[in-house]
Amino acid sequence: MSDQTTTEYQAESPAREAWRMFRRNIPALIGVVMLTVIVLATSYGTFLYGGDPFEIVWAPHEPPGVTPEFPMGTDYLGRDLIAGLLTGGGPTLAVGLAAAAITMAIGISFGALAGYYGGWVDNLLMRITEFFQVLPALLFAMVLVTLFSPSLLTIAMAIGVVSWPQTARLTRAEFLKIKELEYVTAARAIGARNKRIIWKVILPNAAPPLIVSATLTIGVAILFEAGLSFLGLGDPNVMSWGLMIGANREYILDAWWPVTFPGLAIFFTVFAVSLIGDGLNDAFNPKLRER
Amino acid sequence: MTALLDVRDLTVRFALPKPSFFAERPHLEAVRQVSFTLEAGHALGIVGESGSGKTTTAMAAIRLTRAAGGQVLFEGQDLLDLDDEQMRQRRRDVQLIFQDPYSSLNPRARVVDIVREPMDLMEIGTPEERLERVRELFALVGLRPDQLNLFPHQFSGGQRQRISIARALTTNPKLLVCDEPVSALDVAIQAQILNLLAELKEKLGLSYLFISHDLGVVRHVCDDVAVMYLGKIVESGPVQALFEAPQHPYTQALLAAAPSLARRKSKGYVRPLKVSGDPPSPINPPPGCAFADRCPKAQDVCRQTPPVLQPVAGTQAACHFPGPADV
Amino acid sequence: MSALLEIDDLRVTFGTRYGEVTALDSVSLHVDAGETLGVVGESGCGKSITALSVMGLIPQPPGKIAGGSIRLNGEELIGANPARLRGLRGGDVAMIFQEPMTSLNPVFTVGDQIAEAIMLHQNVDKAQALKDAIALLDRVGIPSPDARARDYPHQLSGGMRQRVMIAMAVSCRPKVLIADEPTTALDVTVQAQIFDLLNEIQRDFGAAIVLITHDMGAISEMADRVAVMYAGRVIEEASADDVLDYPQHPYARGLIDCIPALGRDDHRLAEIPGVVPPLHLLGAGCAFAERCAHKQDRCGLEKPLLAAHGHHPVACHGIEEGRI
Repeated sequence: MSDQTTTEYQAESPAREAWRMFRRNIPALIGVVMLTVIVLATSYGTFLYGGDPFEIVWAPHEPPGVTPEFPMGTDYLGRDLIAGLLTGGGPTLAVGLAAAAITMAIGISFGALAGYYGGWVDNLLMRITEFFQVLPALLFAMVLVTLFSPSLLTIAMAIGVVSWPQTARLTRAEFLKIKELEYVTAARAIGARNKRIIWKVILPNAAPPLIVSATLTIGVAILFEAGLSFLGLGDPNVMSWGLMIGANREYILDAWWPVTFPGLAIFFTVFAVSLIGDGLNDAFNPKLRER
Repeated sequence: MTALLDVRDLTVRFALPKPSFFAERPHLEAVRQVSFTLEAGHALGIVGESGSGKTTTAMAAIRLTRAAGGQVLFEGQDLLDLDDEQMRQRRRDVQLIFQDPYSSLNPRARVVDIVREPMDLMEIGTPEERLERVRELFALVGLRPDQLNLFPHQFSGGQRQRISIARALTTNPKLLVCDEPVSALDVAIQAQILNLLAELKEKLGLSYLFISHDLGVVRHVCDDVAVMYLGKIVESGPVQALFEAPQHPYTQALLAAAPSLARRKSKGYVRPLKVSGDPPSPINPPPGCAFADRCPKAQDVCRQTPPVLQPVAGTQAACHFPGPADV
Repeated sequence: MSALLEIDDLRVTFGTRYGEVTALDSVSLHVDAGETLGVVGESGCGKSITALSVMGLIPQPPGKIAGGSIRLNGEELIGANPARLRGLRGGDVAMIFQEPMTSLNPVFTVGDQIAEAIMLHQNVDKAQALKDAIALLDRVGIPSPDARARDYPHQLSGGMRQRVMIAMAVSCRPKVLIADEPTTALDVTVQAQIFDLLNEIQRDFGAAIVLITHDMGAISEMADRVAVMYAGRVIEEASADDVLDYPQHPYARGLIDCIPALGRDDHRLAEIPGVVPPLHLLGAGCAFAERCAHKQDRCGLEKPLLAAHGHHPVACHGIEEGRI
């Protein structure tokens, strides 16, 4: 039979191909390294370093680099800043991840159903989406957190509830585009049910921009958590970077370091996450592949 | 002899956006009371230009587009009357090949899964039997077993079309709808796919509903042809008769327009029958014959009364003044 | 005497992830005033790259003109300064593309776009240019050109848009008109209209036309001379009648035999097995060897050169040796 040239390809899945692209992206790799260091430091650092971040161990407002035991100095109560940074990263990252997961779960469900079914389903779901979109996000989150008493879970939920509309719109746009493609008609022609078409056929193909968006949402959620804590709405019983900034903000003119170090920690985390997000975006973009 | 597929007065309407909030929603009639029959083991070509409704007709006939009216009798059973689950089960008998081999295969699935999926959905056989069937199909359409685990983007256009054909054959269908199956392929590859389709038809006793804009391809593959213009069949008949003695001026114009190796610039070839302009808009079709505005033979009656399909010299034509082209 | 447009031994390479590949390899073509040269081949054979080279539109990098010459009226275009090339593009050499929707700017009226093209190359004011634009729309057979000139591209049908493209292309009376698959996106009845229009325009303006197509039928109706391309090389070149009636190269024969043409009844179409090899996998031998029924050892080792063996110029060892 004809049409049998030897292909030079191995069975390379689209995901593996994206990974090959990602590996060649230096900024993205720097992001991965940065994030790995941050995650390792915040998860194992506490055990290695020891020390309770809430414990008052020294005089307040000890500047960094003066006392060898506390190289980053102490805060307004005399608590060790390094202990705070190492312990506070975990909850910050956890809130970021949880909030992004909630955002994705709500956003993708709304967007997928609206985009796939269209008509009145689309109309109804998108009006709900718009309602949430026009709410002032920070204010709404503040209300939610105050109502349900601040804890990591409520904070994550509050952030998720205010940030899903964007994901819903993105998902809907992808579904609208992909559901017109012939392989979706092909799935219908071989007798696939709607449920299968939505979750098994369209969603995997809509995944690349959603993964990118999820990554960036983590960054936004971390900032959001910091913002809430800064306003005094963080969980007061759990040390987090936001809480450190919030607690020390009144004394910023007397002592810059208790605010600056957690601020930098947040900056580098969000920066790393953004680098990874951009790298994924490029890796999934078929137009850049042939280079 | 009973027909495999008997389509009667099939009509498809698409809703258009409302011009204003209180206005009634306007509709576009993409397919207007189309009737045709397809005998078992035959291939029926539907020819037409873009916007003629040929693809919509086929899609509505197999319920991938909602029909607004009419009947589609498949082995005597009206497909439009079935509920969703019954139709889902019926799909194993009616399969489809698409035009674009690049968008008709899910880029994130391995081809072995793509070809096996219909059996998974219909719950046919054990996993081992399904895999065996996929191997069998691969051999049938001319693919190698070592290509089973590749992804669609690793194949050429022609090979993808073979995969698409294999998927369509998985459930042993009786009717295969081919929607411009070769128009996205290079000519040399077209020939490979057309020969494969011809072979399969003979070997498996398939029937084809073959949509194409390419008259040469239709002539090669089909037994019967229906020519569509603006949502209606304007002429239909056996291939031989329709191509050799077309009765409708539009069919004649189509044949005159199709490039042919027999027409040489060097011999001073000048096209005898010229048709000017574009087809009218389907949103507001003319009251009479849709082709009247472009037709060299048009009279007043053509612009007022729509002609009906009736037998004329070997074919059926919907024309007030049918007859051989006067060149 | 030299031809109006002469491409000589042109070599174009592209940098890809597989390294540098040769997209055009010693391509020589020529076309005279009033003549239509058909360039035919499957996708990826280099026919569009040839057109873009003449227009000076090869993206560099990744593309590179690695050798050869392109002369218009004896003037060398390769290495000519960019200002001069801009002057020639749309002036002496004009091009019509496959997809008329994406080659027109959607936010300007078609009248404005044609007028713009006229003002780029001729010293006329806007009012005059618009008048000329309307006259051109009339010339290419657009009904009520006054009104259509005020339309935006999306308001026109595909055939109308291609007419607008042609009007724009001929606005400066080009000496060479390159049409790259001008009717692929159109229906057959409209395609026929566009072909007839191109022929009329050639009669009126005496332009040379280079018609790039994959369709042997189009070649038959339009071309005086034909060059068949395969994998970046011209493998056969002769008058349209010679190529269509007496194709020599096995690939050219295959291309003609595999068409399910009207007026021919074959039970089974001739096939060319396999696919065009990717450029980065081209070896030292004939690029068609792997698909060729007449392949011998020499074909895999040595590239055949385009030379007259018997009937007309063809690049094939088998024909050279008289065994095909």
